[in-house]
Amino acid sequence: MRLTRSIASALLLFSAGVAQAASAWSFDDGSLQVVAKKSGDNVKEKLNSKTPLANPVTLGSLDTLKLGLTAKDNGNGKRPHQAFLVLQEQDSGLEAPFPMMVKENGKAVLQITHKDLPMQFLVAKKPLKASIVLASFGASQGLNAPAFEVKIGIDPNAPAPTYEKPLRYGKQPEIHHIFRPDPKSPPKVVSLFFTLLVVAALPALLIGWAILGGNVKHLSTALSRAPLSHATFFGSIVAMEFVFFLYYTTWNLFQVLPVMAAVAAVTVLSGTKALGEVQARRLAGDR
Amino acid sequence: MRLSLSFAAALFAAAVSAVSTTGNRLLVILDDDGDKHVYSKFLGDLKSRGFDLSFKTPKSDSLSLFHLGERSYDHIIFFPTKTKGLGPNLTPNLLVDFLNAQGNILVTLHSNVAAPTSLAALLAELDIQLPADRAGLVVDHFHHAADNSSASAHDVLLLPPPKPVRSDVKDFFSAGAGPDDVLAFPRGMGATLGASALLNPIVRAPATAYSYNPKEQVGALTADDVFAAGTQLSLVSAFQARNSARLALVGAAEMLQDAWFDAEVTAAAGGSKKKTLNREFAKRLSGWTFQELGVLRTNWIEHRLDEPGDARSNETNPNIYRIKNNVQYTISLSEYAWDSWTAFAVPDNDDLQLEFTMLSPFHRLPLSWDTSRSSEAASAYTAHFRLPDQHGIFNFRVNYKRPFLSNIDEKNTVSVRHMAHNEWPRSFVISGAWPWIAGVAVTVAGWLAFCAVWMYSAPAKQGVRGDKKTR
Repeated sequence: MRLTRSIASALLLFSAGVAQAASAWSFDDGSLQVVAKKSGDNVKEKLNSKTPLANPVTLGSLDTLKLGLTAKDNGNGKRPHQAFLVLQEQDSGLEAPFPMMVKENGKAVLQITHKDLPMQFLVAKKPLKASIVLASFGASQGLNAPAFEVKIGIDPNAPAPTYEKPLRYGKQPEIHHIFRPDPKSPPKVVSLFFTLLVVAALPALLIGWAILGGNVKHLSTALSRAPLSHATFFGSIVAMEFVFFLYYTTWNLFQVLPVMAAVAAVTVLSGTKALGEVQARRLAGDR
Repeated sequence: MRLSLSFAAALFAAAVSAVSTTGNRLLVILDDDGDKHVYSKFLGDLKSRGFDLSFKTPKSDSLSLFHLGERSYDHIIFFPTKTKGLGPNLTPNLLVDFLNAQGNILVTLHSNVAAPTSLAALLAELDIQLPADRAGLVVDHFHHAADNSSASAHDVLLLPPPKPVRSDVKDFFSAGAGPDDVLAFPRGMGATLGASALLNPIVRAPATAYSYNPKEQVGALTADDVFAAGTQLSLVSAFQARNSARLALVGAAEMLQDAWFDAEVTAAAGGSKKKTLNREFAKRLSGWTFQELGVLRTNWIEHRLDEPGDARSNETNPNIYRIKNNVQYTISLSEYAWDSWTAFAVPDNDDLQLEFTMLSPFHRLPLSWDTSRSSEAASAYTAHFRLPDQHGIFNFRVNYKRPFLSNIDEKNTVSVRHMAHNEWPRSFVISGAWPWIAGVAVTVAGWLAFCAVWMYSAPAKQGVRGDKKTR
């Protein structure tokens, strides 16, 4: 029982296949030609509805691609309603149909040049896939067969075709701000070396003065003659430097100015007395 | 009192059942009321979703899209009408005004009925082209239904569930459809879409389909006759204006008829009978068009300083930042789905991006989902980043425009100031400044030493050159 049923279904399938094969579109006498404008290197290939061409043909900027075939329904030449050569760009999947001129007896011709192609095809990296679509109303099975591949040859002397993608809403590339580089210091060793050089200038100066005879031997004389004035005067000079130091480390200008004024007043008042004492020593020939 | 309360409750219930975010007044344009029953399931579905349907013919005198400058309806459906134009109440200008006033339009066409000039002009305004003479029939000799008349006329296309064209677009129209489900597209007209970013195809024709004029191009089809073919032909198209008003174009009005809702069809390639997806698709398409799907809302935006230990980090949305400050930006979004606001999840392969701009963006960063501040009804997206080292007036900008989602464009302006003089590192921590600082210190010490020597120096002994110089 089961066996007979499977045989029956196999028979059914077979008959269906026969029925389909009996009424299906196909083509004969398929020919593909690339005609160069300057006569010479013409390419001519035979097309077959079963197997596509192995190698892509090249269509230069001045060439014409000529396709000819005879459409057949169930083996008889007939005009299908749809007789397209469909070119497809492989990367994006973009397709463009090129309807053929078909006569009543099924003879179809088609010519394609660069002018007929959309811009996206001219800038395509990979060869375009061409397939032949023959189909019509009624019960006949249509034909949609890959036929060949076309490589687009671009004239190197002419300006290259450009294609600008239309705006599409979507994710945009990320942007990360490039910060200016941070200021850099020289190696610490170098800074330390020059710092030491600068600091060494102070003892050098003091030693130089000492060699030239500089001393502070009259300090006790000065202090005994005008102790208060000298202490305050020299102290105020030191205090002024200390105010500058505080300005550098913590204070702001408005804290600094009144203190400076006070210290300056002390300097002036004590200075007249102290410097008078210095003058007296000079007049006495002690300097 | 009790009466007024119950009245308020009834009002509230009515407001809740109004499912669309923009309103529930739906105008249906039909030739005559007799046509209503062929769309009864579709219209019944709309009614059960809370829409308030009013039926009008194009010639009706009482038809007016605007009353005292306000929209009289929130949405319009155009079913095919035999009239050539649509009369003075539905001119293309008025329809564009309707879109500008955030009204939504669903246009349906039929291959046997030339599209009204008014609608063709409206579609042309939006860069949607209809075939010549506003008439065309899409056939596919490979993907048609093998039932009834379509077996030889090949005019009922069977299409797979409409998947989004791009991988970063949310699937609104075929979510949940099985691989075996088919969409029937009977006797429809195809359109081609211009390059505008506002247009999107929802259903594209199969590669072997083409459009022709059944009245004139019966025998042969020449190169000039073909309006469009293959995937260039858009069967159901969507337009979303910058104000998020929506227009959908359905090439085949028959798609929405009762006969094709849950109908059983056989594909030309053979196989068993399959159920059509048309009812679910019609629901989703009308839901999208009438702002029940894919509507986004910004709940709140928050930005603040993100410096640990800085007391100002607690202040939300300050007006001023400093260059190179670390900041945090958070935006909360909700998406409307049929009858409630839900958390919006950014589609796979897509990003919600934050721009920090002054004329042009300095930063464009993806925002990531912040689960701690999200809920069922809202999702928070956040980003941490460092402000650029450029002072000026900047904007935090989220410009999220995507196909099928309503537009979000949020801008918050802040000032970015430069460094104050006391915010730089002190000179003594900069090693390069040490020689200069030492120079100042040595000068001070030298000055004090000089003062002491000048005031307290005793004359040097005889024989030293310096002594001879005394006056």
